[in-house]
Amino acid sequence: MIIKGGIVYDPANGIFGEEMDLCVDEGRMAEDGKGEVIDARGLLVMPGGVDAHSHIAGTKVNTGRIMRPDDARLGIEPRSGVCRPCTGYTVPNCYAIGYRYARMGYTTAFEAATPIIEARHTHEELEEIPILDKGALTLFGTNWEVMECVRDKDIGKLAAYVAWGLRSARGYGVKIVNPGGGEAWGFGSNVKGPNDPVPNFDVTGAEIICGLAQANEMLRLPHSIHLHFNNLGKPGNYTTALETLELLKDIKPSRMRQVVHVAHMQFSAYGGTSWRDFESKAPVIADYFNSHNHATMDLGQLLFGSATTMTADAPLEYGNARLTHNKWSNHDIELEESSGVVPMVYFRKMLVNAVQWAIGLELALLTRDPWKVLMTTDHPNGSPFINYPEVITLLMSKPKRDAEMATLHEQLPKRTSLGGIERELDWTEIAIMTRAAPARILGLEDKGHFGPGADADISIYDLRPEEVDPSRDHALVKKALAAAKYTIKSGIVVSQKGQILAAPPGRTLR
Amino acid sequence: MRTITITPLKAFEISVEAEIISPDKFAPLSLSQIRSLSIWQGNRKRKLSDLFRAEGDDGPAKVEDVTITLQGDFSRAKRIAEGMTAGKVEAEGGVGMHAGNNMKGGLLSVQKDAEDWLGREMRGGKITVRGNAGNYLGAGYRGEKCGMRGGEIEVGGNAGAYLGEHLCGGSIRVHGDAGDFPGAANQGGTIFIGGSTYLPGAEMTKGTITVRGRARVLPSYQKMEIMSIEGEDFQKYVGDLVEKGTGELFVRVGSS
Amino acid sequence: MIVEDAICSFCGCLCDDINVEVEEGKIKRVRHACRLGSSKILGHERIKAPMIRRGGELCMVSYQEAYDRAAEILLRAQKPLLYGWASTVCEAQKKGILLAEEVGGVLDSTATVCHGPSVIGIEEKGLPGATLGQVKNRADTIVFWGCNPAEAHPRHSLRYSSNVCGRFTPEGRAGRKIVVVDVRETRTSKNADKTVIIQPGTDYEVISALRMLVAGKGDVVPDEVGGVPKAELDGLAKTLLAARFGAVFFGLGITHSRGRYKNIDNALSLVTELNSHTKFVIMPMRGHYNVGGIGQVLAWSSGFPMSVDFTRNAPYFNPGETAACDLLAKADTDAALIIAADAASNFPRAAVEALAKIPVIQIDPYENPTTLISEVVIPSAIAGVEAEGTAYRMDGMALRMRKLVDTSYPSDEEILSHILESVHRLQRGLER
Repeated sequence: MIIKGGIVYDPANGIFGEEMDLCVDEGRMAEDGKGEVIDARGLLVMPGGVDAHSHIAGTKVNTGRIMRPDDARLGIEPRSGVCRPCTGYTVPNCYAIGYRYARMGYTTAFEAATPIIEARHTHEELEEIPILDKGALTLFGTNWEVMECVRDKDIGKLAAYVAWGLRSARGYGVKIVNPGGGEAWGFGSNVKGPNDPVPNFDVTGAEIICGLAQANEMLRLPHSIHLHFNNLGKPGNYTTALETLELLKDIKPSRMRQVVHVAHMQFSAYGGTSWRDFESKAPVIADYFNSHNHATMDLGQLLFGSATTMTADAPLEYGNARLTHNKWSNHDIELEESSGVVPMVYFRKMLVNAVQWAIGLELALLTRDPWKVLMTTDHPNGSPFINYPEVITLLMSKPKRDAEMATLHEQLPKRTSLGGIERELDWTEIAIMTRAAPARILGLEDKGHFGPGADADISIYDLRPEEVDPSRDHALVKKALAAAKYTIKSGIVVSQKGQILAAPPGRTLR
Repeated sequence: MRTITITPLKAFEISVEAEIISPDKFAPLSLSQIRSLSIWQGNRKRKLSDLFRAEGDDGPAKVEDVTITLQGDFSRAKRIAEGMTAGKVEAEGGVGMHAGNNMKGGLLSVQKDAEDWLGREMRGGKITVRGNAGNYLGAGYRGEKCGMRGGEIEVGGNAGAYLGEHLCGGSIRVHGDAGDFPGAANQGGTIFIGGSTYLPGAEMTKGTITVRGRARVLPSYQKMEIMSIEGEDFQKYVGDLVEKGTGELFVRVGSS
Repeated sequence: MIVEDAICSFCGCLCDDINVEVEEGKIKRVRHACRLGSSKILGHERIKAPMIRRGGELCMVSYQEAYDRAAEILLRAQKPLLYGWASTVCEAQKKGILLAEEVGGVLDSTATVCHGPSVIGIEEKGLPGATLGQVKNRADTIVFWGCNPAEAHPRHSLRYSSNVCGRFTPEGRAGRKIVVVDVRETRTSKNADKTVIIQPGTDYEVISALRMLVAGKGDVVPDEVGGVPKAELDGLAKTLLAARFGAVFFGLGITHSRGRYKNIDNALSLVTELNSHTKFVIMPMRGHYNVGGIGQVLAWSSGFPMSVDFTRNAPYFNPGETAACDLLAKADTDAALIIAADAASNFPRAAVEALAKIPVIQIDPYENPTTLISEVVIPSAIAGVEAEGTAYRMDGMALRMRKLVDTSYPSDEEILSHILESVHRLQRGLER
């Protein structure tokens, strides 16, 4: 296959919008290609999108579906052609996940939280998701064996346990959620921060995080620890974020990458002492990332409308349920974890929600190096992934942000710096934040770039970067991003102008 | 005015999904276009004329000027008048499940019985039933927070269980008895039951339920004063206190 | 040969410590299982060969003839029902869902006659649950409401609940408070510290009263609710509040008494509210060993956990309309495939009569009352004994069932694949 004349963005290989041909051979990028020729003259061409943090498979995702027939009926698409029927908006069925990511030009997605003991379920669902290559991060942050190794300061044994856990769970990397909190939740309480002792285990969250980070580097894993902070979702929690990041700054990475990846930073960049004086602390967080190189983040951008919150941070979900008086599922997992699921609606007119919306954008725009920031919505916590084009266009267009802000709560400008930010991301930066950086942060050598031998995952959009001004033409850009002109997965055209043409099974990466 | 009469050609062995039988769908179409509308029976997509005779005035017409008369038995035709915004649908017999689903305006009148989920998630307009209504009258869809949000439903006979479940507005009037759990999770609608019922207003937070017959009242309702309504004495209750509800429940004195 | 740590394929406990003695390809002895489990694993007289009814008699035919006939029945139907799925593995369930999509049918599971109301309750309120090991390790207070595990899930108390010792429950039974709420004394209540007998059909009211008492609003509660004096209910509320970790297990006694899913809905709220005071979880006592699995597989495939109507090519879900018994009650189905369940024994009489009027395809290892009304009978390997696959325990834990002995019978998955092939062949013929 030859893709002719596209305007190619491959920042990992130093290509920033050059007109060039791309060649594919046997599912991989190659020097030469033959056979099918795809005419991409003047069109935006990027590597297939990589989502490093999404909730797409496993017990809590399916619990979301089971408790939300109201959501399932929102996304009905009848079976047709190669497609099996689709349902759901915030909690789409497996088929919808594959097709909808592929339509947007995404070809890889990672499930962000799987307990070892329930990994079989996660993999049953991952196998059922068509097209995408997938992986699952394995939860270790509030696990009995982990806490005992940490308490005994036996990092060697901890590393052995982590290695066993990843192999048993067919996991890709080490996920830590509200360290110690799951154990406390076993008897209905929570830890108050990284230095709060975990009941019955004589360790702290800080010790768990550092121990797992050391074990992670001892094992030279492709990905760093992937961390969901304590106190997530609470006013004033930016101090917890900074305090936790400081713990890790002296750990030496075993590979050319970060030491810690922070999940959905938006939910941990909160100021204020309560929801009443709630405000953005994104500038402080962005400053920290600008002056330190051991950490990366994904946004967890929030958008207005429906979401379903789901996390291994079970006490947080109980809080959400009491706050919204919405339905609540909880699932404690013996020896390991706990989790919760609560449907949510974010309102434009609610100041707290508007501030949360602004924080995600601020983080992306104030952090100077796009290699440190991934565009995500923490699907489906901040918003379903189907809304990525909305997030990308907000990042690329100041006029769009201004127009949106004008519809929001009048107090918003006092609680966020967003209105004063002029920066508009360009295609190189978007290609980094949605392709190159997630692949590099995860340690996926064959993803997120077009170097020879890389997986031939390619997205071609009906957009002419040399003619279209995303700042002004954001509506056009959003439409084009929602349905790629071509999505190519491992050298096969899987989607064309929003229509799924082929639905090969993807691989599970581990 | 434009009147269209629809008559089933024969009894349906498998139920028909008739959401296209609505003034909104018919208004812009000619009779022959109406006859060739597609309609599902089980897994078979058919033409309306394969299953029904459609006669009357040729179109188009404004929605509010359309009257659809349903002649014969429509009890196995589901979703009639779904989402209608204006005009009239007059059933001379009964209607199947989900008639008047998500209705927003106009009038649906039924001379005989209506099956389950009549007026589900209704937002406006009026539904009248001479006979009985099934379960989930004016209720919502599984897992949703809101059922009917507005409009009016009146039933001459009895209604089944779960009437007005998750009611968020509008009013339902049943002259006969109502099955178990009327007005469960009522959030602001009005229900009148002429006959008897069982456990009204479970988890009601707002709204009113009046029962002229007997009613078993939940232990989570606070007994209040006796009030006179249109010359009759009613025991007033407030609840459902399990949800810190301020809904009002009136049960006629002497009937319980 | 002894197969160690096999998984029992009887009930939703999925006990995974069973030792099975196999001699010359036959199961000779089963150790550690309960009476119900070992009799299931040991098995009994099988259907010998596929059969098709001709002139009122079931006549032996080849498997291929049976597959073709089944495909023909399903394709001819305007609204075929594909029912059962509880006593087979997820691999077969996946194939079944694909078949339902292909033939435009309605797929429903036995949940419809057991914990279907629980599912609807969960759709209203969510499910605050846990894995069974969490209960074992932490629960000091356990409530069995409308269920009788001593008879229906005999090893539940020994492995997961009342009597088992765990990290924070070293004393086992002695350190726990066991409460039974039911309409009568049961074998389970003999092992209880407290039994609350309520009048039949009053579960909802009793739970509402408990919610009031837990919230400190007992003054409104009448002197007696559901035949139980207020003082006794108050004592029960205090027991619940005193728990460090409480667990509620519930069964058909609450899902199928008056109030049905509303009872579960209310119980879920009670448990949610108890979490403002202490830690509490709740879970249904699932019956058939993989009835949980069909709910999971259906949910990730179709978005809905049961009663899914694929007739219009897109999943539609509405129990009360699309459940097996609803369709049969309204004679709104014209063919049925019954697999891994005995509909004729478990459905209400009117539904069985409706079933007898339409062509029925049965896929099952054993003859049972459904065989008597079947037009096509296809004998299968016993899933979990003669065929491997995944099953979901009552707490949602996925476990891998091994094959214990060889068989010449095809597995459910293989049978469904063959029927799908026949369906595709017939469809191609029709297109031509």
